Amino acid sequence: MNEKVLSLQNLTMSYSGKDVLNGINLDVYRGQIIGYIGPNGAGKSTTLKVMLGLVEGYGGTVEIFGKSIATNDHIYKHKIGYVPENAEIYDNLTAAEYLTFIGELYGLKRDEATTKALKLLDEFDMGDVFHSRISSYSKGMRQKVLIISSLLHNPDLIFLDEPLSGLDANSVMVIKDMLEALANQGKTIFYSSHIMDVVEKISNRIVLLVNGEIAADGSFDDLKEQSKAGSLEGIFNQLTGFDEHKETAEKIVSIVTWDGQDG
Amino acid sequence: MGEIRILRVLDPFQSVFRKMNIDYGVMRKILEVKLTMDQRRIPTILSQNAKKKEGNQFLKSLWIYALYGLLLVPFVFLGDNYLFQVSIMAGIAMFILMTSMISDFSSVLLDVRDKVILHTKPVHTRTINAAKILHIAIYLTLLTGAFIAIPAIVFLFVEGFLFFLLFVITILLIDLFVLAFTALIYMFVLQFFDGEKLKDIINYVQIILAVAVVVGYQIIIRLFDVVGLEYVYDYSWWHVLIPPVWFGAPFELVLNQNYSSEIIILSLLAVFGPILSIFLYYLLMPSFERNLQKLMEESSTKKRKKRSLNDLFEKVVCFSREEKIFYRFASIMISRERDFKLKVYPSLGMALVFPLIFLFNNLSYQSFEELGQGRSFLTIYFTNIIVGTVVYMVQFSAKYKGAWVFQTTPIQKQTLVYSATLKAFYMKLYLPIILVLSILYIWIFSFRIVPDLLAVIVTALLLILIAYKLFNNGKYPFTEPIESAQQGGGATGKIIVMMLIVAAFTIIHLIISFIPYAIYIYLGLLIVLTVVLWKIIFK
Repeated sequence: MNEKVLSLQNLTMSYSGKDVLNGINLDVYRGQIIGYIGPNGAGKSTTLKVMLGLVEGYGGTVEIFGKSIATNDHIYKHKIGYVPENAEIYDNLTAAEYLTFIGELYGLKRDEATTKALKLLDEFDMGDVFHSRISSYSKGMRQKVLIISSLLHNPDLIFLDEPLSGLDANSVMVIKDMLEALANQGKTIFYSSHIMDVVEKISNRIVLLVNGEIAADGSFDDLKEQSKAGSLEGIFNQLTGFDEHKETAEKIVSIVTWDGQDG
Repeated sequence: MGEIRILRVLDPFQSVFRKMNIDYGVMRKILEVKLTMDQRRIPTILSQNAKKKEGNQFLKSLWIYALYGLLLVPFVFLGDNYLFQVSIMAGIAMFILMTSMISDFSSVLLDVRDKVILHTKPVHTRTINAAKILHIAIYLTLLTGAFIAIPAIVFLFVEGFLFFLLFVITILLIDLFVLAFTALIYMFVLQFFDGEKLKDIINYVQIILAVAVVVGYQIIIRLFDVVGLEYVYDYSWWHVLIPPVWFGAPFELVLNQNYSSEIIILSLLAVFGPILSIFLYYLLMPSFERNLQKLMEESSTKKRKKRSLNDLFEKVVCFSREEKIFYRFASIMISRERDFKLKVYPSLGMALVFPLIFLFNNLSYQSFEELGQGRSFLTIYFTNIIVGTVVYMVQFSAKYKGAWVFQTTPIQKQTLVYSATLKAFYMKLYLPIILVLSILYIWIFSFRIVPDLLAVIVTALLLILIAYKLFNNGKYPFTEPIESAQQGGGATGKIIVMMLIVAAFTIIHLIISFIPYAIYIYLGLLIVLTVVLWKIIFK
């Protein structure tokens, strides 16, 4: 369990003068499921993008599988899977074409990629739409295609950015169990999400990012002890310094129901 | 995914790509996917007559470039002043290639989707970039092929094989140059500005380009002194800054055996200019890719704009609350939506520039005073030609999926959506252009043409109505995917019909202009007709 898969040292990043990440230090070990949480705009997606080589110009070091990604060229991506946040996909391809293409980019043979993709889609009961355009899919179906595309090549490190959006309850259960099983096989999973109860259940380590810095890092039990809140949601509110949700909600309702006349 | 035959042409060059450290197999796969996607169009969601358009719209529009190619043919009969002929031809070719590069291939150059999907995979950036360049190059080659097919054959028979060969080589060099030059402009812009700015600037580049054509045309003509019927070339050092002239020089060198130093310098530029620019592009590619990420960044919050002037227009041209709402919405859409602007702004540039080209053409045989007395002010009708194109384009939007709001909100009068949109186009895009031109024309032709200009401006409204009836079958604007609006696609025929209608109006106006005071009656008739028709159509 002690093999270090991912290591961030003093990672900083700024977009046009605005600091997004202010020195992140994080070591991730084999078999861990990291729940990466934080308020909107805290820098979660940026961290993922840096690690995937999508943005350049960061400060500090990023080491994946023991090698810095700055010197490592693109080879390290062979063992990485990624589900992007905005569901970017070439949607005028069919699932068969898209998944085969992505599999081939990861170095799979064409037939191998197609067969594996079909088998995986079948498990999600989507075998019958294998040859339909992705543009005709529902949001959940697209999401399943994206998840499959990140797993086809049997990666050792998987980055998931809000992977469950649009999925129905049954599929969510499947994915949760699947992630756990993958972690048991020694895969490392980096899971970024806003849905606290899922993060609470599946992660064995939770990292909370606030304003580009790590505000908390530990297992759910560690965090509970630290903050004395009962749920991850409570911990989240506490650590991000937000305790006005009731007041805000009431204000919103009063604005919605305001009929335009004073008094 | 069917086999893409065109890719087989590349296979013999595998070793070349391998030498450049490009993973040929992967590159071919990326190209295959890209070309497959180009063949598919997203089915429309809101239109009633949902005909699925299959097949590559670009390939279907190639014939229009073949038509453009005819433009080059007359120049060959201008005698054997090759430098002059070819410079003009190269200028036309560069302009047409560059415009289509910017309006049709910017999306390929600036596709940020590639970043998330391809750059996260174990593929070297070099390979992805090579695929990108080839993707554009394939289309550029086809386009050029269509463009030069007819002139090349004519040249082969009229001028002989050597001219033909030089012509083909020159066009290939021009292709390289245009490709690299466009990319370099983008690089330059991205270096200094953020993403949002770039999107705006790309639009302005198109207008600048259109203006550059007029200026360029004038400059090229003036390079040559007309002595009798001969064009005599008079070299100055700054001619090396005008690329079309480079490409004329090799013809002069080879065919007229003109070995003067300036011709040799220009010929060398014709060969090395394109090669150097491609090389520069290759060198700067990594920094381009880095800057491309700016396109994905959210830009900083902007201050709220003052809206006094627009508010005023809104009150003047819209008569109901609902219409005002849609007017506001449409003005934002047409001034903000990048893909829409990419397609429409080049036409706006032309609208501004074409009247002037034709007006100044007259100057070559008329003095300025003579011009001011004449009827050349009718050249301003060239501006009205764009009305058809733009009205056609308001059906489309890159964010066409957002159109569900039209169906889920309680809209009382559905026709108002379109009438407000057309008004917004008229106020925001058409009027500014025609006003600028009018000021210039009044300066040249004096105030006597004011009623004529008014007639032109009212005619534009009438044309909007005609174009709307002709093109737009959908219930709402901005509801069709913009990808299916490939320029010169299915609507080309109708656009030509629109041009003929504009020509008809021009001829009527010309006839009217010979009858004293008839213009006032004509103007009155136009206004009544427009008002009545508008009422009927948007009832």
